[in-house]
Amino acid sequence: MEQRTPRIRMVVVAVVAVLWMGAVATRLSYLQLFCYTEYLARAQRQQQRIIEISPKRGVLYDRNLRELAMSIAVDSLFAVPSEIADAGMVARLLSGVLEMPADEMETKMKSSRSFVWIARKLAPERAQRIAAMNLRGIYFQKESRRFYPKRELAAHVLGYVDIDEKGLAGMEYALDKQIRPKAGRLMILADGRRRWYDRSEQAGDAGASVVLTLDEKIQYIVEKELATAVKETRAQAGTIVVQDPNSGEILAVANWPTFNPNAPGESSLEAHMNRAVAATYEPGSTFKVVPVAAALEEGLTRPEEIMDCQMGAIYIAGHRIRDHKPFGLLSVAQVVERSSDVGAIKLGLRLGAPKFYQYIRGFGFGQATGIELPGETRGLLKRVESWTPASVGAISMGQEVGVTSVQMVSAFSAIANGGLLYRPRIVRELRRGSQALPTDTAAPTRIISARTAATLRRIFEGAVLEGTGNLARLDGYTAGGKTGTAQKIDAASGTYSLTQHIASFVGFAPVNTPAVTVLVMLDSPAGLYHGGEVAAPVFKRVAEQVLAYLDVPQDLPVVPGQQLALKRGERAARPDVSDFDPGQVELAGADGGLPLLRPEPAKSSAWHSAQTVALAEGAGVVVPRLGGLTVRGVTEQCTKLGLNPVLIGTGVAVEQNPGPGVSVRPGSRITVRFARSGADGARGSAE
Amino acid sequence: MNEYYTVKRIDNSRLMRSADPKRVRDWCRIVTFGSILAAGGLLYAWQHFQCLQLGYQLEELKAERGQAAEFNLRLKLEGAALKSPERIDAIARHTLGLSVPVPGQVAPVYGAAEGVLAQARAGAGEGSTR
Repeated sequence: MEQRTPRIRMVVVAVVAVLWMGAVATRLSYLQLFCYTEYLARAQRQQQRIIEISPKRGVLYDRNLRELAMSIAVDSLFAVPSEIADAGMVARLLSGVLEMPADEMETKMKSSRSFVWIARKLAPERAQRIAAMNLRGIYFQKESRRFYPKRELAAHVLGYVDIDEKGLAGMEYALDKQIRPKAGRLMILADGRRRWYDRSEQAGDAGASVVLTLDEKIQYIVEKELATAVKETRAQAGTIVVQDPNSGEILAVANWPTFNPNAPGESSLEAHMNRAVAATYEPGSTFKVVPVAAALEEGLTRPEEIMDCQMGAIYIAGHRIRDHKPFGLLSVAQVVERSSDVGAIKLGLRLGAPKFYQYIRGFGFGQATGIELPGETRGLLKRVESWTPASVGAISMGQEVGVTSVQMVSAFSAIANGGLLYRPRIVRELRRGSQALPTDTAAPTRIISARTAATLRRIFEGAVLEGTGNLARLDGYTAGGKTGTAQKIDAASGTYSLTQHIASFVGFAPVNTPAVTVLVMLDSPAGLYHGGEVAAPVFKRVAEQVLAYLDVPQDLPVVPGQQLALKRGERAARPDVSDFDPGQVELAGADGGLPLLRPEPAKSSAWHSAQTVALAEGAGVVVPRLGGLTVRGVTEQCTKLGLNPVLIGTGVAVEQNPGPGVSVRPGSRITVRFARSGADGARGSAE
Repeated sequence: MNEYYTVKRIDNSRLMRSADPKRVRDWCRIVTFGSILAAGGLLYAWQHFQCLQLGYQLEELKAERGQAAEFNLRLKLEGAALKSPERIDAIARHTLGLSVPVPGQVAPVYGAAEGVLAQARAGAGEGSTR
């Protein structure tokens, strides 16, 4: 009996254990096999959250990778109405910070929705003040906001975006698809305390960044000078375009009036207009470039040919057209220099309407240039079949045709670079991360020969030296260009206004190796209105500063004392350089070398005459004598020394600029002209 | 017949049951496998919770990195604004009293290489003040 008791106990324990384990196993099986889906869904609801992540919109850079437009995360304010106890009090507190009507906010906070926006994309200081209030039911969410740190700089090119960062104008609109990011998804796992412990990310696609051809510094120079010019001339509007004639890249585009893209709503729609591409104007005498170029190219004239300008009057189809002065006999070069309409009309008649029309189209007028800026207009050019008998005359002097500033500057760039019409470009490249995306660059079109272009450059240089563009003459650089003064159409009467004009100047510098082409256009200046009087001086100020900034070697000597005397005669608004203190100049180097200037605050105005100071720049390259060398020899020499040769003609080198012995910066451009008639010794361009 | 009950003291304390080697081996095997299983279970549990802890730390670091990246962007924006040409121009003109040089007033000079300059210094002789 006693031996059977332990056995019974063991059996009982065993049975209980088996029953217990069976129950556990059964329950586990039920949960894992039958309730799996339900509990998995519950766990996911509790632990998983899906958040939409939006990468940043692409950055807009200038050509030197300086940021012009970029996006950062800012706080947006939203409310959960069910958590707000006293909507009225909260609304009153917030209205003081947000400067919004309190009743409007109170209405939102009392709605039945679970989420309402109160204010989006707040300034950081406002967000901090609201966060400090620690209001229940009021939360922040990060959103991306677009900023333009340079304010009005290049506003018309950059454009602006709306509250959802969708491009509305400028490059923001034109390239919106490329620079707009694609949202991604972030699935996170959170514990009971909402601490994240795992994530899986479906990455979005960050917007491409855009490198523009603009140079921030040149853009600032241009905008500053345009604002000054508009103020001085009391013009209604103005445009300046600076282009690299050797590539078609636009270095600066300035329009006035302008606006701040950070707050586009605070300016009028008129201020948002990019006049450089969207506004058409009658170019006046600047359009003479077309009939003159066409006549030279077709061999119908020569620069030395004498033309009878009929004492400034000509009849075409019953219309009498008069010059601004009664010119008699002028050479073709002088027709351009002195801007004789009669001479230009005679050249246009000599060409004939079909040929003339062909060259007008060849220079890019009457059609879109293809620049990436939105809103470009083709300009106004009637088809040749619609021309009247007077059209050739009118168009020859720049009337009955409408052009845009970009068309005109591109046409002059073609003269400057030797006859190639480049498509003007504002986008240098698109980038994703650090990788540049392939871009489509159209090859230039030859519209005139290099010889004709060289002849035209000389003619336009004459227009600056001795003609109507005299006020565009640069200090230290040669320049060529053409003035233009065109009457505007009076909207009320439909005839040409006697009081409103478009004053313009288009030019390039230096003449032999143009580095920039600049167009200045002022709409309806008050008082003086001729292009040579109001636009040419602006070209001078812009070109001198831009060429100095680009370190273009001077091709004319400059006498500083004379320059200071010239400066003293100008208006007080011009820069005053009399504040260089000679005490700040010190000698440097054991060889008693060159004085160096240390930029320190001005101490006195006792300086009475301009002194040339030398700025040490480091090791340079001495230009060798290249006279008599072949093209190959010149190329090899320049490549060895790290110079950038520009070769004109064939044969042996007969002329070079800069001349031999001049010390230049490595990588500088050196122009060499070749001829087959035998070397006459290399000479510098200054001779 | 009478029966006699005799109490015989039997001392079995010195008797020891001899261990069954087979059973000992079996128990050792069971304990070993059980230990391995238990260790494996503990290891699994440990790495699971360690993974969770690392996940927490990783998420904290990612959040920090995100905040640092945002701060970097803000600094870039602020830097871009501070480098605005309009601002620099105003500081240069009004605060520092600088002005734009006239053309020809600043002549860039490309000096000799430093090696040549050093020789020139040495060749200047002792006591030279330059």
